[in-house]
Amino acid sequence: MRALYGLYADGAAAQQAVNRLRAAGLTDGQITIMTAQPMEDFEFGHIDRKNRLWWVACGGGLLGMAAAFGLTWLTEMSWPIDVGGLPTYAWWPNLIIIFEMTMLGAILATVIGLVVTAGLGRRAGFYDPEVTDGSILVGVENPDPDKVKDLQAALESAPGGRIKTL
Amino acid sequence: MSHPPHQQINRDLLRPLLQTSWRFYVLVALPAAMVLTGLISWLSQVTFGFGISGIRWPVYWGFYVTNFVFWIGISHAGTLISAILRLVNAGWRRPVTRCAEVITVFALMIGAMFPIIHLGRPWLAFWLFPYPSERLIWPNFRSPLVWDFFAINTYLTGSLLFLYLPIIPDFAVARDRATGLRRRIYGVLALGWRGTPKQWHRLETAMQIMAIAIIPVAVSVHTIVSFDFSMAPVPMWQTTIFGPYFVAGAIFSGIAALLLAMAALRRLLHLQAYLHPVHFENLGKLLLVMALLWGYFVFNERLVTYYGNEPAEMTVFWQTQRESYAPLYWTMVVCNFVLPLILMGIRRFRTITGCIIASIGVLIGMWLERFLIIVPSLGHKYLPYSFGTYRPQPVEMIITAATFAAMILLYALFSKVVPIISMWELKAGDHPPADLIPPATEEHPIGELRL
Amino acid sequence: MPNWGMAVDLDRCTGCGACVTACHAENNISTVGAEQAARGRAKHWIRVERYWEGEFPEATLKFRPVMCQHCDNAPCEPVCPTYASHHTQDGLNAQVYNRCIGTRYCANACPYNVRFFDFFNPSWDKPLQLQLNPDVSLREVGVMEKCTFCVQRIKSATIAAKAEERELKDGELQTACSQACPSRALVFGDLNDPESEVSRLSRSPRGSKLLEDLGTKPKVAYLSREA
Repeated sequence: MRALYGLYADGAAAQQAVNRLRAAGLTDGQITIMTAQPMEDFEFGHIDRKNRLWWVACGGGLLGMAAAFGLTWLTEMSWPIDVGGLPTYAWWPNLIIIFEMTMLGAILATVIGLVVTAGLGRRAGFYDPEVTDGSILVGVENPDPDKVKDLQAALESAPGGRIKTL
Repeated sequence: MSHPPHQQINRDLLRPLLQTSWRFYVLVALPAAMVLTGLISWLSQVTFGFGISGIRWPVYWGFYVTNFVFWIGISHAGTLISAILRLVNAGWRRPVTRCAEVITVFALMIGAMFPIIHLGRPWLAFWLFPYPSERLIWPNFRSPLVWDFFAINTYLTGSLLFLYLPIIPDFAVARDRATGLRRRIYGVLALGWRGTPKQWHRLETAMQIMAIAIIPVAVSVHTIVSFDFSMAPVPMWQTTIFGPYFVAGAIFSGIAALLLAMAALRRLLHLQAYLHPVHFENLGKLLLVMALLWGYFVFNERLVTYYGNEPAEMTVFWQTQRESYAPLYWTMVVCNFVLPLILMGIRRFRTITGCIIASIGVLIGMWLERFLIIVPSLGHKYLPYSFGTYRPQPVEMIITAATFAAMILLYALFSKVVPIISMWELKAGDHPPADLIPPATEEHPIGELRL
Repeated sequence: MPNWGMAVDLDRCTGCGACVTACHAENNISTVGAEQAARGRAKHWIRVERYWEGEFPEATLKFRPVMCQHCDNAPCEPVCPTYASHHTQDGLNAQVYNRCIGTRYCANACPYNVRFFDFFNPSWDKPLQLQLNPDVSLREVGVMEKCTFCVQRIKSATIAAKAEERELKDGELQTACSQACPSRALVFGDLNDPESEVSRLSRSPRGSKLLEDLGTKPKVAYLSREA
């Protein structure tokens, strides 16, 4: 079977289900949880928290800064034109271009980083539309056939759950 | 902040996407006709020559640049509400953020058209883009207009993405409710969103980074727009106050636009359960603060000019205060300062209706402010023989009206295809992070600012 | 390398306007008609400013021909997004029509208001189109134009002198306005040559520059009226 999961009406029940699944021997990486909004007041809402997006943003910003500096330096030095008696490379005005491209680099890097690290753009794994109706999905993808019975029991032990399989 | 339960939220906020009444078609048809009229006007300007506008020697910038600055100013609404309120974790922002971000994106798009509309040879506008050409010419990076190009494009890209990222989970909800072709389109737009904790964390981190990044960009955008003026040695333009003055004015007009949009949405989409009077009150207080700040900047600018008593500057000074531009000037002061102070300062008047009246006044006043910065100064530079007066012509007035129609049109179309209130953020308000649960009345040691 | 400049003797200027007419003829500047001129669309690259002092019958009239000052610190140059307005090595503020996209920022930045926008495509009533100068390009609608110190004359004189392997003599090269002025009020020449007439006049104690305190470093010296 592709997936075995339960749909719960509130966070407390979902937390119970997650704990029972862990007790049944699953690691956090093997448990799939889906919610319609981030639920930070429960422990399961904090799984997979660490990410490196801040570093990606900084890296993108540095790339943007380098690109802008290169663009202004190379073009203004290669084709020097006297405008208003300003020096050939006037760094005060060029700082504005450098700033804008730095921020653009950071922004684009963040978005690309988000798409890549969150796995957006490709359908990975299973899904149930009832999640968007407010139910919390807790389940296992491609469960070990030997353990299906235990996992089902774990899911059923949390109150108010509807168990489904794919 | 009380709001309806989960299923009710989905139903109410998805209703505009799934049902359409005849009123919507009217709301779209009329502005669309106006926008078309504006487009035809502009094409006639390109065909018959720029001379059909009111531009003349020496007033070479008029309505078009006024509109440019005005609309870029309005685009600062989203940044303030969305980014700053997100960062300080103000809970009341939740129903308001997307309305504000939408205003930003569309106001930017409209404003960004004006540098093309006001060009003498608009078909060559692409020369502002840095690309290697056979002419061995790159854009002049020292020119404020090229700064405008970079800044507005960065801000537009950033705002579009800042708008789009939080819509992804709502697109997923729409995908699950829609059928047929719409289901597929929403499916593509939702980028396969499932709602795992991993995805939520990455999304929220990305939004936080964007919020922090977009604020300096927004400040820089309108500062750079102000540089269009302060970089030229024109009396009452070459002043260092323009940067902060313009940014403050932008946020001011942005809040006014946001209040009007919210009031319209509340009535037309029946969102009374989501946009409460307290939202209008809070934004009204912000409007009051910005009105005071605007008054402070105007007072600063004029007192310093008055004391300096420089002949060229005082000529422009008296033009606005006493002479031909005086009626417009004092209307602006009433609309921007007196009216908001009364309506937003006195609690009894700080109702939704009061907010609407004050906002309309502020929009009129801020448009006049841009006009009064540009035209009197250009008409009265240093050599009295070359003074001149500007009279707007029909083409400029039609295009100005068309931009307001374009805003209404774009907003109506957007609210038809995307939920105008962020559903997941509303619901997430019921699940705050554990370390934020202690109420504000409890003492916190200094330095524990949570972002 | 020459540094072109001008001197205007306000004592000699009678306000006749011959310089304006000559400039229109030399540089293919179209007239715009009475209605458009009233709406401020006239393109007088050189104009004669008139100022009255006092009341009739004791009013006095002052004339001042104003053309592009070809400033060394020109405020019109850094603001052009396409480098259409830039400074040449021989001291001219060049306007490159082909690069101009018509933002009109340069005209706003110019304190002397000597830059003009082409509001319409130029047209000449017949048979005036027969007197167009083939050395000067026509400007289409949407570009900025202004006094060039008759750069076409500078170029052709320079090329002729080079072909003859000699230096340019002072006075050999004249702009249209200085050539047409009947009272020799306008003098054009090389400011880098200390012996040229324009250099001598620029050093005159009567000399001053227009709006000099703005820091634009204009290159036209105005010699004040004695009478």
